[in-house]
Amino acid sequence: MSNPWIAIGALALVAVVIPVSMLTMSRLLRPSVPEQGKRAVYESGEVPTGDTRIRFNIQYYMVALLFVVFDIETVLIFPWTVIYRDAVANVGLARVLLPMLAFIGVLVVALAWAWRNGAVRWVRSPRTTAQRVDRKS
Amino acid sequence: MAGVYDFVPAVALLPFLAFVVSLFAGEYMPKRGAEAGIIATAGSLALSVWTLLTVAGITGPATSFNENLYTWVAGGEGAVTLNFGILVDPLSALMLVIVSLIAFLVHVFSLGYMNDEGETGLPRYYAGLGLFSASMLAFVFSNNLLMAFMFFELVGLCSYLLIGFWFREAAPPSAAKKAFLVTRFGDYFFLIGVVGVFATFGTGLFAPVEGAETLASFPELAEEALAGSAEEAGVNTFGYDPGTWFTILGLLVLGGVVGKSAQFPLHTWLPDAMEGPTPVSALIHAATMVAAGVYLVARMYGFYALSPTALAVIALIGGFTALFAATMGVVKQELKQVLAYSTISQYGYMMLALGAGGYTAAVFHLTTHAVFKALLFLGAGSVIIAMHHEENMWTMGGLRDRMPVTYYTFLSGSLALAGIVPFAGFWSKDEVLFEALIHGLGSEGAIGTLLLVGYAMGLVAVFFTAFYTFRMVFLTFHGEPRTDTARDPEPVRWNVKGPLTVLGIGAATVGFINMVPVAEVTGREIDYLHKWLAHGDISVTTTEHYGELLHTFAGVDPAELGPVAPGAVSLVLALAGVGAAWKLYNVPDPEEHTDKLGGAKTVLMHNYYLDEFQVWLATGVTVPLARAADKFDQGVVDGVVNGISSVSLFGGSRFRRIQSGVVTNYATLMTLSLVLLLVVFVVAGGVV
Amino acid sequence: MVVEIGGFAVADWVTLAPTLVLVAASLLVFLIDTVEPRPGSSSNAVLAAVTTVGSLLAFLVAGYLLVVGVGQERVTGPVSMFNGQLVVDGMSLFFVVIVGSVTALVALASYDYLAGEAYQAEYYALVLLAATGMSLMASANSLATAFVCLELSSLPSYALVAFYKDNRGSVEASLKYFLVGALSSSVLVYGISLVYAASGRLQFGAVAEQLGARPEFAGVLGVGVVMVLLGFAFKTASVPFHFWAPEAYEGAPAPVSAFLSSASKAAGFVLAFRLFLTAFPEVGGLAGGDPAVDWVVAVQVLAVVTMFVGNFAAATQEKVKRMLAYSSVGHAGYVLIGLAAISAPDSGFVLGASMMHLLVYGFMNTGAFLFVALAEQWGIGRTFQDFNGLSTQAPLACAAMTVFLFSLAGLPIGGGFISKLYLLAATAKAGTWLLGAALIVNSALSLYYYSRVVKAMWFEEPDGTVEIESYPTSLYAAVVIAAVATVVLLPAFGLLSPSAFNAASGLF
Repeated sequence: MSNPWIAIGALALVAVVIPVSMLTMSRLLRPSVPEQGKRAVYESGEVPTGDTRIRFNIQYYMVALLFVVFDIETVLIFPWTVIYRDAVANVGLARVLLPMLAFIGVLVVALAWAWRNGAVRWVRSPRTTAQRVDRKS
Repeated sequence: MAGVYDFVPAVALLPFLAFVVSLFAGEYMPKRGAEAGIIATAGSLALSVWTLLTVAGITGPATSFNENLYTWVAGGEGAVTLNFGILVDPLSALMLVIVSLIAFLVHVFSLGYMNDEGETGLPRYYAGLGLFSASMLAFVFSNNLLMAFMFFELVGLCSYLLIGFWFREAAPPSAAKKAFLVTRFGDYFFLIGVVGVFATFGTGLFAPVEGAETLASFPELAEEALAGSAEEAGVNTFGYDPGTWFTILGLLVLGGVVGKSAQFPLHTWLPDAMEGPTPVSALIHAATMVAAGVYLVARMYGFYALSPTALAVIALIGGFTALFAATMGVVKQELKQVLAYSTISQYGYMMLALGAGGYTAAVFHLTTHAVFKALLFLGAGSVIIAMHHEENMWTMGGLRDRMPVTYYTFLSGSLALAGIVPFAGFWSKDEVLFEALIHGLGSEGAIGTLLLVGYAMGLVAVFFTAFYTFRMVFLTFHGEPRTDTARDPEPVRWNVKGPLTVLGIGAATVGFINMVPVAEVTGREIDYLHKWLAHGDISVTTTEHYGELLHTFAGVDPAELGPVAPGAVSLVLALAGVGAAWKLYNVPDPEEHTDKLGGAKTVLMHNYYLDEFQVWLATGVTVPLARAADKFDQGVVDGVVNGISSVSLFGGSRFRRIQSGVVTNYATLMTLSLVLLLVVFVVAGGVV
Repeated sequence: MVVEIGGFAVADWVTLAPTLVLVAASLLVFLIDTVEPRPGSSSNAVLAAVTTVGSLLAFLVAGYLLVVGVGQERVTGPVSMFNGQLVVDGMSLFFVVIVGSVTALVALASYDYLAGEAYQAEYYALVLLAATGMSLMASANSLATAFVCLELSSLPSYALVAFYKDNRGSVEASLKYFLVGALSSSVLVYGISLVYAASGRLQFGAVAEQLGARPEFAGVLGVGVVMVLLGFAFKTASVPFHFWAPEAYEGAPAPVSAFLSSASKAAGFVLAFRLFLTAFPEVGGLAGGDPAVDWVVAVQVLAVVTMFVGNFAAATQEKVKRMLAYSSVGHAGYVLIGLAAISAPDSGFVLGASMMHLLVYGFMNTGAFLFVALAEQWGIGRTFQDFNGLSTQAPLACAAMTVFLFSLAGLPIGGGFISKLYLLAATAKAGTWLLGAALIVNSALSLYYYSRVVKAMWFEEPDGTVEIESYPTSLYAAVVIAAVATVVLLPAFGLLSPSAFNAASGLF
């Protein structure tokens, strides 16, 4: 049997050659018409209002993180609900319910903490803060 | 049962405690630490006496004691186990009493010599004395060679500290250094000997330890090896004939003895050590430092008794040192110098006795010498106080009437030193010479002849001893006062007179413990010391056993000869020496008769130019050698070391460069090293 | 599913009690902070106390379980749970003891160090969560759990390093740490995937069985093993994945440096030990025969290089904290001896020596970093010269620091002496003379740079500009406790080492 790495090598070669050849071909064939609109940021059809490199408010991340956490929580709870009845019948209520309660309990503690610490309170974008400071001074 | 043996460690621990207390709290005590030392040594003395009584069987059945107390390094299979232990037999019990007695008296005397003179730094002084006593006492009851060696070294260290007590003056530090270095020189051989003994026998025990499993002592193993074969006894002689090898080991250990006991040719430190405070000199000469060497030979006598060569060397060194030091003592002008040379000479006698198979005689002389030499030094200290620290005998004279207590006690010590019947020194010195003579006559071959040579030298030394002793007495106490200070000496107090009186009586009477000639003549059994050392619980450390060893292995046998005639000969010689001194110096205005010796005096004053010779050895031979070694060290060894360190630092700075602080560099390096490892271990490793 | 602890039959998950205690403590910290989100000084003390008590409790429980023999041959054998995803045995308990003790010391010291800082609850919670991850790493018994536990301990660490978020150094260090960590994690997870590809299993024991049966994927496996090894090199701060260590330790708050360099390193090592000895023994040729992937040699190379790089770089540093960071890299090299000399006939001894070194190291290195924390509190600067004459003002702390440094160098003043001696004996038993020589050379070199600090503290004249005003109690207490533990471990070494040797031989 021949060395299997030969096939892998051939695959790698093909994987490089095809895109490079396509790019080269289109570069040779296409007409070149430079225009401002082509270089603008694509915003799903909206007219762009500035650079892509702007600062996002950190609270977007907070919300995103919370969303991810609860998303994954849902992913875990979902199969559990599906097998819940069968599992209770097999191993008893305590062994099925308590671990999930502990899991949700941990998340509740975390959510309560995040809530109390203002993670979901939408306040004070940097701009408004800056304006407020301006007014004071 | 909590017998006295449980308290034996306290004999050494008490002075050690005094050392600690004096060192840290001495400043706050009314006597600057002396109290601690006096109480501690008094306690040691009491415990030692109790021990002695127990060993003697007065408080119950006679017993001995030999136990390992603490395992320092536990050896596994085939490795050496190092223990600390205690050996109490007649010899060490006797020595404990001597050492603690002298230490106690020296502490009391120091009140007069140091405190009353208003010295500063006294806590340091008393701390030194405490540690000195503690290490000597621990050395005495050591039950193995390594422990003995450690305390032996500690003794040397303490002597260094105390001799150099007045470190702000020029001479004491230099003398202290000399004492330390010269004894160290001997101790190197001792150390090699200790290692050799452990490598050979796997144990350093002086006497077997009884227990669940009896641990054999190294003299016993040596005896077995000589009687049978080395393999049977489990002894590794490194390819030598056992007899030869044991002689080598014995002589190596003897190196330490010669250094510490100030025997020729390593005696040069002792006269210089007179720079220390006089009570310290008393302690060094009578009971601790110098005695340690001789005691060590006595302690492992079962080993030396196996080797006729070692015995002959010991005897010859002893006899020669006895005579040699005595001749130098004749011309010295300073009180303590004379005493220093007399010490060297007297320890020569002890070595002669040991070499000649006269174990009892050596121990006897060690005992009596401890008493009368401590007495003489303390007496000299008293004179020095009186003379406002003037030590030249030519400035004294006529002190007899002005300080009678000192005079009569000093006289008692001098008579003992000179060997005049019935003072202590007579009995012991006579026995030393007697043993040398009978063993010299009785032994076959070369060793007999050598012992007789030693005897002859010892005999001649008797005359010189008596002469210089009484030259000293007459110059100091008789005649007319030669200076104003001598006319009006400073009075001394009870704390000087007390120890002098105790020792003065001792010097006159301590010889009665072993009056062999009297026993011989009257037929009464009053040679107590003989009996004391002949029996014991631990049979291998008794003189009976040593006698057998000497007979079997060394070929040393006593001849049949009565002790009276040799005793008479030495007494006559001693009296002749006293008479000569009387004739020359017991006049109102003595002259320096030694001038008539001419060139000989110069030689003697310069101690046979031995100091110069040793200095030449140091500067002429050792220094060039050391230079060469230094060149090698600087050039090659240091070069290598410096090279390594600069390579290290250079490499270190290279390694620092790698840490550039740029994360992308790190990522690159990490990836590259990953690839490298993959290539090396996966591809080149032949996995694929 | 039921095990016996000290005569009581309990469910098997109870043996995870030390980890559960840490989890509970972290939740408690969150709850306290929920009640009072902007803490005053009173709740600072409560937070520190909860953290300290929690980790101390974890330490004590783990120690108790270790003593009564849970998970060890003499009682039950390893307690395996969740289908072999986690295992509690002597080894895991031993390392939880290390992690717990270090966490307790760090938490105690942090009370003073963080006085007046914001976000204290977050700090303690992150410390506890990282400790939880570390204690789980000690128990992880499958590649998946191992990775999750590792990330559980790593992510809080990144945040902890950046705790002073207004301090450029702290943030920069954290970012570098994070980036290097991300690269390492990717290498590790790729390695895990290759191992899984070759064996079809994730659980360590099953991997070993499958690999014994199917040697045909040796190439894939070899790449995987080397990548996994390097992934752990990140966690243990070994060359070549050590680059983060000096930066992170220097930039981080000193208690965090102590925590990372002691506990995190120990956790990385326990996982490496368990993985390589239960999943890859046959591959490495430990069961006899030719090794398919000679990872033992790879570890030997890494050990020697790590020792040299760490110590040589430490020798030329000017800042004490950075010197300690590099010395920590050097110590990782010493501990790697446990794996590198594993082919010795008495492999339990070899591994046990490494474990004991980590235990001692946990105290002496934590103590040294906490001393630096003390110095930072005093504001006396970071270079060797800044420590000049410190002993005149703080003799107790300087004495403790001297103990730490000399013990780190391997002088017989603390347990570091015997543990290094054992490591040396281990190399001698394995006949790997190069390792032994490297150990000796580097220990000698380390004495040079450790003694520079000692010299500065005791022998140099103080500059006279710095006045120490306060003597923070809890920081002092932590330093002194660590010093006492370091010293006590010298005589008590013989008491503890049998449990390490037993725990280590449980893996074979």
